[in-house]
Amino acid sequence: MSEDELDPVIHAPARLRIVVTLAALPDGDNLSFTRLQDLIGLTPGNLITHLRKLDDAGYVRMEKSGSGVNGTTSVSLTREGRAALDRYRRVLRDLLDQAGSTPPR
Amino acid sequence: MNEDVDMKDGAGLDDGADLDPQGAAAIMQEAGERARRELRVSHPVTFIAGGVAWLLGYGAIWFSVRGQHPYQGPAPEAAVIQVVLVGFAVAIAASVIGRATSGVGGLSMVQRRISILALAIGIIAVLVLEAAIDHAGASRAVVFGVYQAAAPVLVAGVVYVASSAVRLSWTMLGLGLWLVAVAAGGAFAGPVGVWAVTALAGGLGYLLMAALGPALDRHQ
Repeated sequence: MSEDELDPVIHAPARLRIVVTLAALPDGDNLSFTRLQDLIGLTPGNLITHLRKLDDAGYVRMEKSGSGVNGTTSVSLTREGRAALDRYRRVLRDLLDQAGSTPPR
Repeated sequence: MNEDVDMKDGAGLDDGADLDPQGAAAIMQEAGERARRELRVSHPVTFIAGGVAWLLGYGAIWFSVRGQHPYQGPAPEAAVIQVVLVGFAVAIAASVIGRATSGVGGLSMVQRRISILALAIGIIAVLVLEAAIDHAGASRAVVFGVYQAAAPVLVAGVVYVASSAVRLSWTMLGLGLWLVAVAAGGAFAGPVGVWAVTALAGGLGYLLMAALGPALDRHQ
């Protein structure tokens, strides 16, 4: 992937929502799978599939604690994930500038 | 809660082939605004509850001590009113914070717990010190007037200032510095006046921060 290309790992509606939502948390914080699901509005199956793709790229970290009915999964954005989102935002801004549209905040 | 997940419905995984830059920008804006709205604690609500409780609670105590010669201290009914109002403000703050931080773990939760612990320890220390000052023979005007009114405000102010450094919040810093000033300056108003100064200046400080906080924290 070149520097002026949108990162294909992030450039999908669901994964973009996930990364932007996790980036709203301060560094060092994580979000439970169920709260993330509430915020994104995906089914558990779809959410885990997107999370695994982000996890494979090193952009999110998934941690499971407990087991059975008391098990919880927490998700956080890694440093690489935050850097990738910053890069994505920069490339997107350039593309929108070229097209004369309003860049994202 | 069982959060085990399956992949049965992950088959229809979308990709970005059909996502144009404008669409991506719209998603980023919408998702970012929603996350900030849902995940951040709404300080205005907690500050309004705190301001009203502060104004009425300290006001009730001032009402019970005004005109006392010699100074005796707050009436038990006024103290009960203050405790109930503080409990009401704490319950509202707990509900607002609990809703925003549901499912959120990590560093900020630890920081929040340490702040609450610091406040609780500070208030306990204020009560112990009050007993010690009383035991040492200080007058009721000093123990149950100046000290009892100003010391908890000083503790709350210092905890807000310390928390602002951790959370980088201008609202907390402003409120903390204001409360420290109210505690230190209000003490000069004497055993009766200190309750009125604390009620008005402290309560209005909370309400002012509820109004100014969102604008201040946008610059953090």
